[in-house]
Amino acid sequence: MYSIEFKNVVKRFGKTEVIKGLNLSIRKGERLILLGSSGCGKSTILRMISGLETITSGELYLNGTLANDMDPGDRGIGMVFQNYALFPHMTVEKNIAYGLRIHRIPEDEIARRVAKAVAILNLDGLESRLPRELSGGQRQRVALARALVKQADFFLLDEPLSNLDAQLRGRARKELVRIHEMYGQTMIYVTHDQIEAMTVGQRIAVINDGRIQMLDTPHEVYRRPANLFVAKFIGSPSMNIFDGRTAAGAMRLNDTEVPLTPGWAEKTGASGAERLLTGVRPEDITLTAEPEAGSVPVEIQYHEDYGSRVGYYFTVNGEEVIAIMRDDVLHGAGHAYWKPDPKTLHFFDAKTESNVGYPAEAAE
Amino acid sequence: MKINSSEIKWHLIFIILVLLLIYPLLFSLSTSFKTMSEAFQSSSLIPGDPTFSAYERVFTTINFVQILSNTFIIATIVTVFKLVTSVFAAYAFVFFHFRGKTALYFLLISTIFIPFTVTMIPNYITLSKVGFVDSIYGVALPQLADATGIFLLRQYMKGIPMSLMEVAELERASHLTRLRTIVVPLIRPAILSIGIIFFINSWNEYVWPAIMIKSEVNYTLSLALQMFVSSEGGTDVPVAMAVATLTMLLPLGLYAVCQKFIIGTFAQSGIKG
Amino acid sequence: MKSGEDQSAWRKRERRLAFLFVLPSLAVFILFMFYPLLYTLYLSFFRWNMVSPKMKFVALDNYVNLLTDPVTVTIAENTLLYIVILVLFNFLLPYVLAFVNTFLMQKGKYVYKTLLFSSSLIALVVGAILFQWIFNPVSGPVGAIADAVGVTLPAWSKTPGLVILVISLVAVYKAFGYNFLILLSGMNSVPEELIEAARLEKAPNSNIFTKIVVPLTSSTAVYILIMTIVQGLQYVFTPIKVLTQGGPNDASSNIIYQGYDYAFTFYETGMSAALAIITMLIFLVLLYLEFRFVEKGVYYEN
Repeated sequence: MYSIEFKNVVKRFGKTEVIKGLNLSIRKGERLILLGSSGCGKSTILRMISGLETITSGELYLNGTLANDMDPGDRGIGMVFQNYALFPHMTVEKNIAYGLRIHRIPEDEIARRVAKAVAILNLDGLESRLPRELSGGQRQRVALARALVKQADFFLLDEPLSNLDAQLRGRARKELVRIHEMYGQTMIYVTHDQIEAMTVGQRIAVINDGRIQMLDTPHEVYRRPANLFVAKFIGSPSMNIFDGRTAAGAMRLNDTEVPLTPGWAEKTGASGAERLLTGVRPEDITLTAEPEAGSVPVEIQYHEDYGSRVGYYFTVNGEEVIAIMRDDVLHGAGHAYWKPDPKTLHFFDAKTESNVGYPAEAAE
Repeated sequence: MKINSSEIKWHLIFIILVLLLIYPLLFSLSTSFKTMSEAFQSSSLIPGDPTFSAYERVFTTINFVQILSNTFIIATIVTVFKLVTSVFAAYAFVFFHFRGKTALYFLLISTIFIPFTVTMIPNYITLSKVGFVDSIYGVALPQLADATGIFLLRQYMKGIPMSLMEVAELERASHLTRLRTIVVPLIRPAILSIGIIFFINSWNEYVWPAIMIKSEVNYTLSLALQMFVSSEGGTDVPVAMAVATLTMLLPLGLYAVCQKFIIGTFAQSGIKG
Repeated sequence: MKSGEDQSAWRKRERRLAFLFVLPSLAVFILFMFYPLLYTLYLSFFRWNMVSPKMKFVALDNYVNLLTDPVTVTIAENTLLYIVILVLFNFLLPYVLAFVNTFLMQKGKYVYKTLLFSSSLIALVVGAILFQWIFNPVSGPVGAIADAVGVTLPAWSKTPGLVILVISLVAVYKAFGYNFLILLSGMNSVPEELIEAARLEKAPNSNIFTKIVVPLTSSTAVYILIMTIVQGLQYVFTPIKVLTQGGPNDASSNIIYQGYDYAFTFYETGMSAALAIITMLIFLVLLYLEFRFVEKGVYYEN
């Protein structure tokens, strides 16, 4: 039994279909990330779980029970909002205990749970402050505390870190994982930030245009993107994509024909695609100053020094490609050589945009 | 403090305007302390021989305490009832979804454009059927049909972030709980100043008392004032000015204490949307 | 599958609760606003003296009588004169002053609006009495000033035209500060940079007002213009009733006072009702204009 299950769920706002036939099963106790850019429908999915948004058609099950028409208050949801939604007229303690008091939990139990959350979230001494007297990070932790003390089955977070500055965000990510491991609720986390998704999530659902593009572990989402969208969306700078002009077991890079390994030749051949696109991540490209066997000459058009890394720009089959390397091995030279490592390549059907898969030798 | 020379002329205009608007208040205050003969002879703002005799005559010629308490009771009934009904209605218009919500809202708001001559005869008849003619309840009841409170409170409630209400919704807090624990505390200053405005408006009301009240024992301050008017101004000016001063005292006193709130709320009443 | 938004039980409960929340207000409005409106419409087709058990159906006679009665012409002229004076003092003047206060003055913004607003809190009946004495030709200060410059102030309450001016001033006293306040906050919708840009072009202030400020504040302005008319005509009712009872010879009566007079002086409910309906129709035209110009934003927003 899954903790949360969507079956063919559609959500329309007026005539606009925001969620287009969602099927998603979320395991009990896992940390699932809904990742996508704004307007992709990720928050709508979260709000449908909470009941704050109704479901147009399809079915939603919570702990095995059909929940389409369940009152939001009956679903067992602890939620953290993007703007934290703290009550400005209540103290930290009153904010955290708001739901517990409504549910008439005995005061000693309230005190116990609030004290625990306050201790875990480092809010000691702030209990009688008002939200406006707190820093951004403290507010965010109060919002977390309020969602946690409920000890609900589901812990929903809607872009909880997007109002924090970069430094705090890094710390808050770790804290979130730690807290989740203590409380162990099923956690659904909406974000547009792929670093957050990669570091917090046990599984990531990449959403685009109302559909799940891929649902897998952060590692797989990064290493084996299911399609072109995921490949380009995850990773920064994003994956280089060019028309590899792949045919008969070889791909053509600029004027050089590079033979594919037998495994890749078989995979690409079996895909049945009319045209294939080749993908390679910037950090997977190794350039050398001198030619090697099987390397391809490239013209460096521009380079950027990031301090810890160096980026080189060149053109492959008419597309701009960027390579990110640890050291400046070229020392300003305009020529370089690239020998594509078969383990770092990705091939996509240009028409369906889906990944053709990986041969055995590409396994890490 | 330096004022730009080109601005001086504008300041002069504003100062003159302020004096023109303040003058009647000072006139009324000063005349109320004059003797009857001085009131007719001198228009100086400083009474030559200040006397409380006009105020004494207020208490001997009319039953001032009774009139004051009538006015107060009516204003209190109107204020409390209008506030409570307006808070509930505004809450429904902001936080509930129901068919015809917008249409109903605009229907209520457009009643601001219905002149009182349209409602006065039927209301008179309705109230006479239940024996409220010449009764303070007959004065209070028609004043309750007023959409300004709904309009203003809706504006303020729309300013409450939706997510605060959603937090409560996820706790299965009933709407009454949400109203009590979130909405009312958050807009308390607005509710207070709207209440003050309701109170002042009812305190100043003339039309409904004039239509409904017959006997002096049920008079409000507005009607009592009318007793001191004859076509060219009657004879006892100081006493008329004393009653006028006493009538102004409460609204102006409330304004002096919380003008910031009152100004803010009134300014809101002209903002559309 | 069902599961439409309208099926679920808790949404039904919500709707029922929403109705309960609106109910008290709605009940009051039905009882004291909507039902009276229909009843007045009904009465306008009858001749009745409010007490007799018999009501005589006269179809459109009341309306015909009104439209052919020479008094109606006087009332219409008076009403127009009231509107002109009120628009001048309660709309145009505060509009220009709000502009001046916002863009041509650095200091004293809060002080002026606070002081000017104070007279809006004073009862109309108080205003009526104050103005009656202030304009008293014999003992009032205005008479004294007129005397000093060698002019004899006529008895305003007996002088057609002048009587309307003085009565209007009571409504000006009541509404000026309020209208100024609203128009002042309307000026916030004019970006300061636009004014500064126009100044750099050496545009005269009159030009800045008509070409920049008026177009950008038109929704607030239209609202205040219409409220000046709708409320102003009702505001002057109090001084008319208290000071002149419409006299001399209907010279100070207006469309509102006349409606009251028909009902509670002559007990001609039919005539009163017909005039009230006509008044409302005029106001509804103004309401329509208000929706056209002012409420547009509301519709877009929804």
